[in-house]
Amino acid sequence: MKSRGIFILIASCSLLAAPAIVSAQTAAKPQISASAIQIAMVETGDVQIPAEFRFAIYERLVERVGASGAFHKVYRTGDRAADGIPDLVTLHTKVEGFKEGSQTKRELTTVLGATRVDVTASVTARDGKLLMDQKLTGRVRFFGENLGVTNDLAKRITKLVSAAF
Amino acid sequence: MKLTTILIVAFSAASLAPAQTSTSSAPGTTAAANPMVRHVIGLDKIKRNATGTLTVQDGALEFQTGKAGNKVPVSAIDDIFIGTETTQSGGKTGTVMKTAAIAAPYESGKALSILMRTKVDILTVSYHDPEGALHGAIFALPIGQAAPMRAQLIQAGAHTSPAEKQLSDRSKP
Repeated sequence: MKSRGIFILIASCSLLAAPAIVSAQTAAKPQISASAIQIAMVETGDVQIPAEFRFAIYERLVERVGASGAFHKVYRTGDRAADGIPDLVTLHTKVEGFKEGSQTKRELTTVLGATRVDVTASVTARDGKLLMDQKLTGRVRFFGENLGVTNDLAKRITKLVSAAF
Repeated sequence: MKLTTILIVAFSAASLAPAQTSTSSAPGTTAAANPMVRHVIGLDKIKRNATGTLTVQDGALEFQTGKAGNKVPVSAIDDIFIGTETTQSGGKTGTVMKTAAIAAPYESGKALSILMRTKVDILTVSYHDPEGALHGAIFALPIGQAAPMRAQLIQAGAHTSPAEKQLSDRSKP
């Protein structure tokens, strides 16, 4: 009877303490501040990926990061207007793996034919300091054409960048 | 009897001749104007998946939809890539039909996936704006029309890397 009471007490204390722990974790997360971001062209290294996928990832990133509102201004690669921004950060995307699936297979079987792109997304400051670095995967599993993988990937990268800044 | 046969053959030949002429001239017209080009992504003023015409004229690559248009000067083009993709035909109507077909009994709606697939050429044009910012415009063209379009752009003065490095038929139906 006594042990049951202790158990209930401990459980209650844990429940009450849980939000405090969560808030402490949230507060501990460092927020990086930058007014502008430049989206670098997707790097492929040795991975064979068609040009339309590279450009689609790049274009969707420009679109989605701009729409997220995390930065006042989003610049593209090569934009001379970005040269004078002191707190400019740069988003780099490097393709680590690519597997092109088949839309027909996906729609007929629902388990085969997935398209996937593995990337490493990193954000660097103007002085080259690494501010964020994470591996991500974009997928198309059921419906949609193979190029749809670029949308999924851009969505994930934008979410990550928005959370960090 | 013979006269009747000759007359029938003559009428048949006369009625078929114009049809054949118009059929053979159609691809030429289509290749020049590319009326069924889909803008996948990359042009600022054009919505994604808008269908329109893609032309090379007055030193610019022009995409024109019913309401809006966008011009890319040929001199601003850095590279042109072509590829192929198997996609779904029918546009938005096709998507609605396929979604409705999910409810068909015994998964018979999946047959639509086979019937409604189509192969398209993908034309990727890499260019820079006056500020030097890199852009990539992607278009889906009817099969076999990306190479002539690329040739037209090169003829008009667009920069590009060798074609043999770019052309890839990696389509998986």
